[in-house]
Amino acid sequence: MKIAAIAGSNANHSYNRMLLEFIAKQYKDTDEVDVIDIRDVPMFNENYKGRAPKVIADLDQRIGSADAVIIASPEYNHSITSALKSVIEWLSYEVHPLENKPVMIVGASTHEQGSSRSQVQLRDILISPGVNAQVYQGSEYFMSDVANVIDEDGNITDEMSIKFLDKCIDDFKIYARSINRMVEERAAEAAKKEAAKD
Amino acid sequence: MKKILALVGTNANFSYNRLLLKFMKKHFKQMADIEIYEISKLPAFSVDVPLEEQTEVWKLKQKVKAADGVIFSTPEYDHGIPAALKSAVEWLSYHTTVLKKKPVMVVGVSYGRQASARSQVQMRQILISPDCDANLMPGNEVLIGGATHVFSKDGRLVDTEMRDNLEECFTHFIEYIQIFENVDEEEVKMPIKQPRISEAYIKFPTGRLSLKEVQQIFSTIPFEIDLIDSSDRFAWYSDKPNREHVRDVASLNEPVTECHPPKAVPAVMAIINSFRDGKRDVVTRPLWMNGHRSLIQYYALRDVDGHYLGTIEFTGSVEYILSLFEKGAWDKGADASTGASKHEDAAEAEDNETADASTGASESSDDNEETTADASEPAGIEETDADTGASESGSVDADDEAADATTGASEEE
Repeated sequence: MKIAAIAGSNANHSYNRMLLEFIAKQYKDTDEVDVIDIRDVPMFNENYKGRAPKVIADLDQRIGSADAVIIASPEYNHSITSALKSVIEWLSYEVHPLENKPVMIVGASTHEQGSSRSQVQLRDILISPGVNAQVYQGSEYFMSDVANVIDEDGNITDEMSIKFLDKCIDDFKIYARSINRMVEERAAEAAKKEAAKD
Repeated sequence: MKKILALVGTNANFSYNRLLLKFMKKHFKQMADIEIYEISKLPAFSVDVPLEEQTEVWKLKQKVKAADGVIFSTPEYDHGIPAALKSAVEWLSYHTTVLKKKPVMVVGVSYGRQASARSQVQMRQILISPDCDANLMPGNEVLIGGATHVFSKDGRLVDTEMRDNLEECFTHFIEYIQIFENVDEEEVKMPIKQPRISEAYIKFPTGRLSLKEVQQIFSTIPFEIDLIDSSDRFAWYSDKPNREHVRDVASLNEPVTECHPPKAVPAVMAIINSFRDGKRDVVTRPLWMNGHRSLIQYYALRDVDGHYLGTIEFTGSVEYILSLFEKGAWDKGADASTGASKHEDAAEAEDNETADASTGASESSDDNEETTADASEPAGIEETDADTGASESGSVDADDEAADATTGASEEE
């Protein structure tokens, strides 16, 4: 499966990016995971109507062509980072690659809560009408105390955590296939109706 | 009149939220002084950009600090607050506590009927997160939907129901600010204006002073004193009238890195660290302040065993001293027998008619003359330890706008 994986932090050192890179490595035999680094995405500004930065077209293409999306979200002030929110705003303004896209939320934090609150918020943002993603509602994957779980080479050192990640990703892939089938069927239905009109 | 800072919650060129704040500024001008701040001036938040280069961020933090209350006016993008507004809040909660206990109010306008309700809920959650820890005014929801219909062409809120609600909520906000102010005055300002236990005495080995006397001594001597304690916080300043540096009790207990313009911080920290390390004991800085010749001297404060207790900033006009010098006040006392330092006693004794009843800083006054005369070599001071090169302190002092070691706001602004 082709998966676009968005790292929700613009910090140079990000455990959430490391988590996605680990996933890419872990599933390289079965899935093509494209880790998206948002460090070069500027702050969203609606003044740029019709002249969005080039990086947005690139994101649109990479996410639009994926079968599914994973977003890794840190937590700043009980909420998602402004950097991630900015990316979502660009992707719900003139281009809408997340529309109907199966999305799974994961997150890592150095604290106990493991970014849980920002994940709840991100879910709410992703299902808003402007974004309209198909957010996976099953298992919640948040990694607490990440500094002791991911080592310097980016490997998850905790066996239980890897096992649970496997389960989550397997479930999500089934979910994503079902959603994509549903979306295709819907499109086919709509096309049929269109054709009948003519 | 209350000073309110109002943040426009978007970086867009046109915004009904900006319009609302402009309307509030005019409409409530008898009740409060509302300053509108544009978050589009700020860079995107990042932990990797050097904080010391973010002058605009520093300016915003100073504005928040100085304000009695802050209003956030937020639109709604994808069920949430705009990224640009989130970024501003991230700056205001990163290595700073400016929002802590700050009275804040949330308002919002949107085109649709929902009136930014969801983003306002999110904004409220963010403001009470431990990183911000603001005093968020509960209730008092200002939900202005249907923006295109409720504002007039000249930017007035013409929907009477909405305007009544806005007036009520804003009045509550002013009251809400006052609740916390009374607490502040008792807790913070009291001990500054008058010592807490006014009848107590301190017994020094050389005599006893009442706290009242201590307070009044500090207010009377012609130099002002500021203290940065051993944890690098702005701990105290003398309540001298007409200070060269105007200080505010709101700055007390701030980390020294926070109460300075970012670019001044390295120079200030260099002074403090050299005191803490024992490399130096004094740094002298002659300069013009408020139109007259002044002298700032930083001293390492140490206990009798030499342990670092803090840094004193000693500042005052030297016009009077210099005029005495220029008139030759010391000329007749100077004879060949004096070395570098210890002839003042004699000079003073012979020169009593100049009514100098109180000078204490006697042993370095020779050096003062030199440093005042030659500002390019401020480190030429004898108390400076032998192992520090002149270049080291020179490099600190050379940065003229930098070195106000206590709070930096005054000289630069």
